[in-house]
Amino acid sequence: MLVKLLKYEVKATARTFLPLYLALVVLTIITKLLLFIAIPDAVLVSTEGSKFDIPLGISMTLYFTIIIALSVLTLIVIIQRFYKNLLTDEGYLMFTLPVQTWKLILSKLIVGLMWTFVCGVAVAVSIFILAIGNISVMEITQGINVFYSGFQNQFGVSPNILIVEFIILMIVDIVASILMIYVAIAIGQLFSQHRIMAAFGAYISISLVIQILATLLTVIIPIFGIENLINSQTNQLKVIEIMINGLTLLNIITVAAFYFITNYILKNRLNLE
Amino acid sequence: MPILRAKGLTKKFGNLTALSNLDLEIPRGRIIGLLGPNGSGKSTFIKLATGLLVPTSGEITIGGAAPGIETKAMVSYLPERTYLNDWMRAEDMIAFFGDFYEDFNRIKADNMLRDLNINPGDRLKTMSKGTKEKVQLVLVMSRDAELYLLDEPIAGVDPAARDYILNTIITNYKENASVVISTHLIADIEQVLDDIIFISQGEIKLTSTVDEIRETHNKSVDGLFREVFKC
Repeated sequence: MLVKLLKYEVKATARTFLPLYLALVVLTIITKLLLFIAIPDAVLVSTEGSKFDIPLGISMTLYFTIIIALSVLTLIVIIQRFYKNLLTDEGYLMFTLPVQTWKLILSKLIVGLMWTFVCGVAVAVSIFILAIGNISVMEITQGINVFYSGFQNQFGVSPNILIVEFIILMIVDIVASILMIYVAIAIGQLFSQHRIMAAFGAYISISLVIQILATLLTVIIPIFGIENLINSQTNQLKVIEIMINGLTLLNIITVAAFYFITNYILKNRLNLE
Repeated sequence: MPILRAKGLTKKFGNLTALSNLDLEIPRGRIIGLLGPNGSGKSTFIKLATGLLVPTSGEITIGGAAPGIETKAMVSYLPERTYLNDWMRAEDMIAFFGDFYEDFNRIKADNMLRDLNINPGDRLKTMSKGTKEKVQLVLVMSRDAELYLLDEPIAGVDPAARDYILNTIITNYKENASVVISTHLIADIEQVLDDIIFISQGEIKLTSTVDEIRETHNKSVDGLFREVFKC
């Protein structure tokens, strides 16, 4: 059933995103062409300018607008799919399907995560396409090689593990951010009036609580002698790793808590209008 | 074994008691009218049976099980709201129901849409409120469910469609399935009902068969309703 839920979730969201991604592709191509014509040689930029400067300026502006629009839309769709599909009239359909509540939440989460990922990759690829030619692939690989050998020299190990750990942290962090929106909306729907205001209130309150807990942690951590670790030069890498993995662990705990609370509310305290 | 059983069923919303200590059994193979004035607890009862709400105390079972994915698979529920996804076409909704409900009968759905002159390729967004209600009813009645819970199924449709819909309700369900129809438009559905439940302020006022009412009270259900709930 989860697969079917995912299928419909992708269907429901894709039609919102497709026009914007199409626009991104078209604008990347146009901007790239204009860049190519207006600044054929990145090293020798002519001082008198080119007659393509204005179209290039317009195209660039549109290009960055689209990138911002895509990021904003991704966030809006994540909020809107959870709220509208589950907690307005459509909820009457979704919550009477023979599907467990946690699968409904998970399907929204996975597809939200997917679009966040697609957005990031699409923007990165597009910027890379624009940059290439001005920066050569050789320069990039050289830069990466310098970073790797430098890292190897200083710490004696490859940075691959650290990079993987960092990526895991980023993913867990995005999951936690999405679930924080869900839990706030779920709390908001407990109220019979002003549900959206209540959801905002819940979101701000949760942020505050997390801020306070984080501040407390920074006070507590020195007790465990992390400072000694930071001071000893040889263990710098270990310290970074502990920080990253510690953050990952904290995020996993929040993810579990948010997921549990959202599921509990939607299962036992559902309050459809 | 009755298809639905409620024991001491109570639902409170804050201080407000929507249902109070309800005991009820709904046998199989009957068409039951759940009748009561606005705010009497009809919708709350149906929502408890679908699992949309969780009882404050007491219990409700469908086919012996508490509301959950097994009971949702055998209950076909028509809410008073339009729950269709606006961006879909009627045929997309049919595919959706076919995907999630094993008992969904596609042929039945196609036939009913044709009878009601609804084009499956039309977007729901472009349909009138009444047409959407018809689509929703077609979807719900195209399932071979054990229990149908219809909350105000005819309130928004024209009289001609009303007759067609009532006709589909009485002809479309399996022999040992039951249909619960909640409404306050009693005169319109009276002729299809086997049993009635009068509910008021969260309590059952009367349960009876329609024949009994006609014999002992010498009245129509509508007439008796007006008498019992006289303002």
